Amino acid sequence: MGRLDAVYDWFDERTAVRSLVRKGLYEAVPKRGAWFYTLGSATLVLILLQLVTGIFLTLVYVPSVTEGWASLNYLKQHDAFGSIVRGIHLWSAYILLFVIGLHMVRTFFSGSYKRPRELNWVTGVGLFLLVLVMAITGAFLPWDQAAYWTAVVVTNVPAYTPFIGSFIRALWRGGDFVGPITLSRTFGIHVWLIPAILFPLILAHLALLRKHGEFGSYVNYRGAYRSREGVDVPPVPPQRPIEPPYPAVPTDELWAAPLETEDFFPFQTFKDGLVSVVLVIVVFLLAVAIGAPLEPIADPSTTSYTPVPEWFFLPLDELLLLVPQQLIPLALIVPAGGVLLLLALPFIDRGPERNPFERPAVMVPGGFAVLFVIILTLLGSGRLFNL
Amino acid sequence: MNALALIAPLLERLAGELPATAPQGHNIVGAQIAIGSLFSIHILIAGLVSGAGELGPAIEFLGFMRQRRGYDRLAHGLGRFITYYFSFSSTIAILLITVLLVGFWGHFWTTIVTIAWWPLFIEAWTFVLQVSLAYIWYYTWDPLRGFKGLHMAIGGLLAIASFLQVYMIDVVASYMLTPTTPQNPIRLVLNATSYPLTVHRTVGNLAYIGFVIGAFCAIRFVRAKTVQDKAFYDWAGSFGLLWGISMTLLQPIVGYSYAKEIQLHAYGSWYKMMLGTLSPVFLWQITLLGLMFLTATIYFARRLRTNGARGAGLLKVMAVGLVLTTLLAAQPYHLGFTYAAVASAGLDRPFWEGGLINPLGSMIPWKVLALMSYTLIAIAAVVWYLRGLPGVVWGAARRGEQRLLMLMAVLTILMMVTMGFIRENSRAPFLISGEMTIQGQQNVQPTVSPSPSGGG
Ligand code: HEM
Repeated sequence: MGRLDAVYDWFDERTAVRSLVRKGLYEAVPKRGAWFYTLGSATLVLILLQLVTGIFLTLVYVPSVTEGWASLNYLKQHDAFGSIVRGIHLWSAYILLFVIGLHMVRTFFSGSYKRPRELNWVTGVGLFLLVLVMAITGAFLPWDQAAYWTAVVVTNVPAYTPFIGSFIRALWRGGDFVGPITLSRTFGIHVWLIPAILFPLILAHLALLRKHGEFGSYVNYRGAYRSREGVDVPPVPPQRPIEPPYPAVPTDELWAAPLETEDFFPFQTFKDGLVSVVLVIVVFLLAVAIGAPLEPIADPSTTSYTPVPEWFFLPLDELLLLVPQQLIPLALIVPAGGVLLLLALPFIDRGPERNPFERPAVMVPGGFAVLFVIILTLLGSGRLFNL
Repeated sequence: MNALALIAPLLERLAGELPATAPQGHNIVGAQIAIGSLFSIHILIAGLVSGAGELGPAIEFLGFMRQRRGYDRLAHGLGRFITYYFSFSSTIAILLITVLLVGFWGHFWTTIVTIAWWPLFIEAWTFVLQVSLAYIWYYTWDPLRGFKGLHMAIGGLLAIASFLQVYMIDVVASYMLTPTTPQNPIRLVLNATSYPLTVHRTVGNLAYIGFVIGAFCAIRFVRAKTVQDKAFYDWAGSFGLLWGISMTLLQPIVGYSYAKEIQLHAYGSWYKMMLGTLSPVFLWQITLLGLMFLTATIYFARRLRTNGARGAGLLKVMAVGLVLTTLLAAQPYHLGFTYAAVASAGLDRPFWEGGLINPLGSMIPWKVLALMSYTLIAIAAVVWYLRGLPGVVWGAARRGEQRLLMLMAVLTILMMVTMGFIRENSRAPFLISGEMTIQGQQNVQPTVSPSPSGGG
């Protein structure tokens, strides 16, 4: 032990690692409701899992319309371990989309995006969009039938942008039609362009988190008592212990610092770890049991193939299907406007109230958005079953 | 002289008049009227009961989270409503099934029970579950006051049972419009219109109970004596309307996709609805929808204005937008009874070229545009009203607002009856699309109706 300590001291003297670890582990986090606050770290773990499995896949995969499918088919036929890695990459992506959605809904519910955490939210929305782009570009890469038809439909969506739409489509496709250039460009976007933005943005997101501390939700604050009929707000404790990163002298009496906190390590880290481990096990089991499908190689001339969209693309697909051709640009204003509203949310909803049940003017439209997505998904999947 | 002796001659005459068995098959129109009207009543009442079974628990939960007594009172009231009306609603259902359907449309009934055995079986049991849970939920309100979590869990189960019950009957109803072959239970459940119909009806039932709460509270508000009661009914009426309209604004998209499935899988019905004999009714329906959104928006604007809360001005602008949209939606496409009539007269060209076609009334893109506009304006209106609500003092509403709440319920009921009418008539003369007709339902030895397994 002594020797280990010495090594640690040696490193600390040169890198100040000790204070970094202290800062990393021993900050105060809210005590109640902590299971809900594990979703962020679960997202992080799944993204890192994507990074690792993705690196392994690039060792095999060739971004070409002739070799790409063949390289994955090789995994499927001859390399059981490689197949599992590919399965993990796929299932981890699916679960990541789900978990990031939950994390977003959680922070939306708890009003975590309010002052001073507006930029936590804005970076988060950026991350969400980037993860979606990762998922959709990843779906092109196997270059099987499903991938090809996804590419055809998806690369057409930006074409509805006014003025520059067809330019963007041509840029992405590398011409008028989906083909070899589309695949190499999409590969570049998937492994270089997006990750180069995504990972720094994650760092920014986490740095902001550390700057302001975990907000948690209204149950952690004095403000929770205010909206209750016949319940008094507990008095402000005369002298708050200083618990960085929360301000020692509360700027906002009701919402600046949680009533009860605990150390990030080992309490929150235990919960975070448990949730992440369970998710990773689930991903692994799905990868082994179901794996990643590979359909026959893309054949643009086929007439018998019925494309089935990726499940996370289903709501948009259903919208495109329901709306008549002339109105599609108009209908696409809805998701585009939705993204803008999402980005603007912290600057629109600036009131101090954090209790979701006392913020109907935000929760109800949020609920509509979720309901519309659910309904479109339901209708879309109903149609799929009927094929 | 006893009473029996008095009426005995009358009874004797009656016995001579009444048929010995169920009225036999010549009077199909009579049977249709009897079944159609009873079905309308059944849907109007059962829709309320199942809507209340879903909304009641939700309101109780909201009340618990917000710690406001008004919600608890409203949810409890819904519980009482369910317990009172359940027996009435089930009496009608039983009358419908055992007497009218079995008596008049015997072959249909045996066929549908054979095909949809599982859904109907589950339906029956969820019905039992729903009744039991509704009574438990209502009668344990006070005893379980200290165990609100448990009580809300019972409410949650009630909501699930209520949903399942509607879902199962929707499977049967949607099958009748878009039958599937081969008829195994899974295919049956996943028939082409089962998803859209279930979403459409569940959301519809939830909206309907909201509007009825609104109207009920409006009446109680007008009669209320105490300040507390006035405040409660004012708030609850507004809540009901807000809830109802929030659900209704999901309907254009659901209804549209429902229509789309019908177009793909039961083209005859779709054609009749959009271009044929039912097209005037459809036009009335889409206009009615606009009137519903408009009425709600006017209520929102007025209710805010009464207390000088912010947002009334913009809501008025939205109301104007809804008037314009409704005018667009109400445009007929063919200026004759059916499109076929217009076409066969050789007049299927725009009216400015001397024809009877009004391009502004076409489904694509104009009606779709109107539906999109309805939805977006209604969302904006709901959000704007919610934003203004903190400035509202409950109990201060005026009669005008209450009248709008009552009007809203009337419009809703009209809407439900219209939709039922379209639904049932779009399928005619079939009971099961393409498979079984209304004719020959009472023949003891069927000659007309094909076998249940016959392809569609
Ligand atoms: C790559 C994706 C993301 C990662 C790795 C990530 C990671 C995290 C972590 C570890 C936390 C702290 C623990 C927690 O509250 O769950 C957090 C908090 C937060 N995240 Fe994310 N997040 C991501 C995406 C998002 C998205 C999509 C949003 C919303 C649009 C978002 C908004 C927030 C906000 C507002 C907080 C502060 C919560 C609070 O203080 O209560 N994040 N994030």
